[in-house]
Amino acid sequence: MLPEETLDVLRQKITITDHPRELAVEVMFALQKHYGYLNDEAVQEGAGLLNLSPLEIEELATFYDFIYRRPVGKYCIHVCDGTVCWMFNHQSVLDYISQKLDIPLGGTTEDGCFTLLPVGCIGYCDQAPAMLINGNLYGPLTPEAIDAVLKELRDKQPPQKEDR
Amino acid sequence: MPKLIIDTLKIEVPKGTKVIEAAARLGIIIPRFCYHPSLGSLGACRMCAVKFLEGPVKGIAMSCMEQVRDGMVVSTMDEEVRDFRRQVIEWLMMNHPHDCPVCDEGGHCLLQDLTVAGGHGIRRFAGKKRTYLDQELGAFIRHEMNRCIHCFRCRRFYQDFAGYLDFGALQIGSRMFFGRQSDGPLENPFSGNIIDLCPTGVLTDKPSRYKGRRWDYERSPALCIHCSLGCRLVASARYREVIRMEAGFSRAVNGYFICDRGRYGFSYNNLQERPRRARIGQEEVPLDQALRAAAERISQITHQFGKGAVGCLGSARSSLETQGLIKSLCQQQRWMAPNYLADPFREGKVKRAVAGLDGRLAVSLREIEQSDFVLLVGADPVNEAPMLTLALRQAFRKGAVIYVIDPRPVFLPLDFEHLPAPPGDLDFWLGFLLKRTIARQNGEKTLDEAGELHETQEEPAIQDFAFQDRFIKIAELLDRSARPVIVCGTDCVRETTPALAADLVLSLQAMGRKAGLFYLLPDANAFGAVLLSSPESSFLKILEAIEIGSLAGLVMVESNPFKLFPDRSRLEQALNSLDFLLVMDYLPSPIGRPADIFLPTQTVFEAGGIYVNQEGRAQWASPVYRGGLPIEQINNGNHPPHLFREDIPGGEPRPAWQLLMELAHLLSPEQDLSIKTLWTELARGNPVFSRLEELKGPGDEIRIIPEQVEEESFLITGPGNRMKTECAHGDVELLPVEWTLATEELSSYSDPIRETMKKPCLMMQSEMGKRLGIQNRDRVTLSLDGGPLEIEVELKDPMAAGIIVLPRHIDLDWQKMGVHPQWISFEGIKKKKDLDIETI
Repeated sequence: MLPEETLDVLRQKITITDHPRELAVEVMFALQKHYGYLNDEAVQEGAGLLNLSPLEIEELATFYDFIYRRPVGKYCIHVCDGTVCWMFNHQSVLDYISQKLDIPLGGTTEDGCFTLLPVGCIGYCDQAPAMLINGNLYGPLTPEAIDAVLKELRDKQPPQKEDR
Repeated sequence: MPKLIIDTLKIEVPKGTKVIEAAARLGIIIPRFCYHPSLGSLGACRMCAVKFLEGPVKGIAMSCMEQVRDGMVVSTMDEEVRDFRRQVIEWLMMNHPHDCPVCDEGGHCLLQDLTVAGGHGIRRFAGKKRTYLDQELGAFIRHEMNRCIHCFRCRRFYQDFAGYLDFGALQIGSRMFFGRQSDGPLENPFSGNIIDLCPTGVLTDKPSRYKGRRWDYERSPALCIHCSLGCRLVASARYREVIRMEAGFSRAVNGYFICDRGRYGFSYNNLQERPRRARIGQEEVPLDQALRAAAERISQITHQFGKGAVGCLGSARSSLETQGLIKSLCQQQRWMAPNYLADPFREGKVKRAVAGLDGRLAVSLREIEQSDFVLLVGADPVNEAPMLTLALRQAFRKGAVIYVIDPRPVFLPLDFEHLPAPPGDLDFWLGFLLKRTIARQNGEKTLDEAGELHETQEEPAIQDFAFQDRFIKIAELLDRSARPVIVCGTDCVRETTPALAADLVLSLQAMGRKAGLFYLLPDANAFGAVLLSSPESSFLKILEAIEIGSLAGLVMVESNPFKLFPDRSRLEQALNSLDFLLVMDYLPSPIGRPADIFLPTQTVFEAGGIYVNQEGRAQWASPVYRGGLPIEQINNGNHPPHLFREDIPGGEPRPAWQLLMELAHLLSPEQDLSIKTLWTELARGNPVFSRLEELKGPGDEIRIIPEQVEEESFLITGPGNRMKTECAHGDVELLPVEWTLATEELSSYSDPIRETMKKPCLMMQSEMGKRLGIQNRDRVTLSLDGGPLEIEVELKDPMAAGIIVLPRHIDLDWQKMGVHPQWISFEGIKKKKDLDIETI
């Protein structure tokens, strides 16, 4: 269950919309923030709040790149999968991070710190190849730049494994 | 109307038509996957590309997305556009597994056809294909996601057209998955349509797997007889078995779709237990011998007790031919007048409805889709007439407002207002609306008879003003609507309700509204049954005649009153006291007392016949195959014996009307009954039958209701017809109801339907549950006239106070209820004690 105050805010917002569905993304983000990812319980809870069927939530949740239906690390590395980034060899970025963190695409590091995912074009073509980590843009990427980012994030907030 | 040229052919079509439809009118079928006439355009598959040579659009565009405009010159066969489509089909096929030889869709697959037609014969793609885990979707549908080409037809039907929300499109891009959130049976009672819609083998018919290929089947148009709507079907038969049912197209009734009961309910036709030999007592004999013996026994009885000592029971599931011959036979032999409706408490209501329905009132299902306000009175579409639900849903999608006045917990896959009034109050509220509507129109000047009726009616005991306000709102909406439709059931209503509904429609018409009326009747041919019933005959009269001994011989034709009559023990006793019982049927129904002589009849798939639906539309059902014992049942599933014979093994059953004709011939050889002159003869009693001559052959249909019934507008005027508003304080009314997949007799023989049907339960308001100390899912014992009935309770809201609802479930002994309406005291509903459960 979401905390009562979050629920109140969401309920309030839902009542003033014409179609509760409009708030689906916001509700899913709130649930994801609370649970760490959008687990099955969260899907049910979201459906209840928005008066949608669980399947409708699932349809939306699995459509969006930033809604996670499986557990993810503290930092989700979203490497841009857009055309311009392809031109700047985004595959080498993926390969590099994958090798550096020893995880496949979609995998999470053992310490629960990083998850590696692709993302549809994020619009930073001038910074290609680019990636997003928890909303922050990084680019143009080089092995050095990637190393620096990963180190910085890992040092900043040493993640608690049991938190995951 | 815009004029355009498609492939050098000129055509003029209404504004708003899509190019793909305009081409179809010329007989040019442009390749398509996502487009479907009833689902509309989407532009997802890119397969219907055409080239616009001249006019407002230039170059290649999707013909399903472009509306026709003046001066368009369209080519479907231009080299450039052919190449475009060839490439589209190639990339649609990229991930397709090419498993046609083991795919159930193989042979009637749109993807297969268009791949070949599109010129993509040889695969170039050598990469990995995306694969999925399939889901278990219940007894009806097999899921094979790898074959999917993402046309979205299934989701568009399931969620948009039908309004159910447990199946949809998940994921994104090339991972797109069509299915449920997790394994489980689909909740949509129209789910089978996604099989017909799927252009490839993702969603295929599960019960008919491994039974044959499309080209193996004898395919033929057929008619659904599982409710009163009369939807068109396409049936496939093979090896003397009906294998599969698909939706047939009907402009006026079902459109492109059917419900799952109609699709999967046909198995009664193929049953191993189906009686295929005639019997005298328990002994199987040749049919003609049994027929002669039956004629002899009947002659003996008429000799001994007189002509009136023989009676005949038909049913509402027989064809009009059979029903008509029953009537002619009874008239000719001067037997007691026949009866067709074994539910005595529904009989009067059905008769009222049919008698009052005329050309001014009746609307078809398709016309309901065009209405802007639908008021349902004592009608539960999903359970009583499933396809009505989809018609309502389409009206709703176009902006219609939908209100339901019904005591039951009614579910519809759309937003609607439910006013849970108890059955005894329905008349009052209809009268209230009638008065309001007329009063608004005429000021306080004149109230017609209908208005007066309301004036003199007793008010419901509990005055709930908030509830009344909602009816005032309905009156306002009725007043504002241009094409209102009143849907009136004949199950959970009182005898006067159907006529009151007709009055409301007539008064709306008098006010200049294009109003229509849509009745729901109990069975496929209840309408025909009523046309042939004399007003004074009734099932109870026949039963009483047996009980006092004035009726000694009974002929039951395709009739199983045990499924309809609410007092099993009384019926059993009566039938046991008969001197002679002749049964003709195609069902193995246990009827309590074994027949003295049994004659096997043919089903609708073998005999065909005319059925009249609830709006008076007579439809000719074609026979699908010639009958006989399914080959699988002949030699334990092995190859049938290599014997030459001229007849069809197990082919003895005849159409019931033919057996009746032969019986008539044996009884009175000098004055033959004939099927050829049947309609002319029956037309003497009721002129509507003469219209049946216009039915030329299978597939034909015609409305056989009079333009206007003779009575003047308002049907109920006499005070004798008025129903008192009952209120028995502290008591509850037991309401037997229909369920989509569990109460209809024919479909209950089908395995996939049995697998899908819900368990019976007793439904009541949660407030009543609280009062009685009963919780959801508790088991209770219900004291009925015929003995105690143990059943699980489901608390439901909203539903009317003062009623409990019991389905006429096939697995439930609801016939213990005895009379109807049945009132039960609170003491009669006892929670089963924990102790009892332990001892069980």
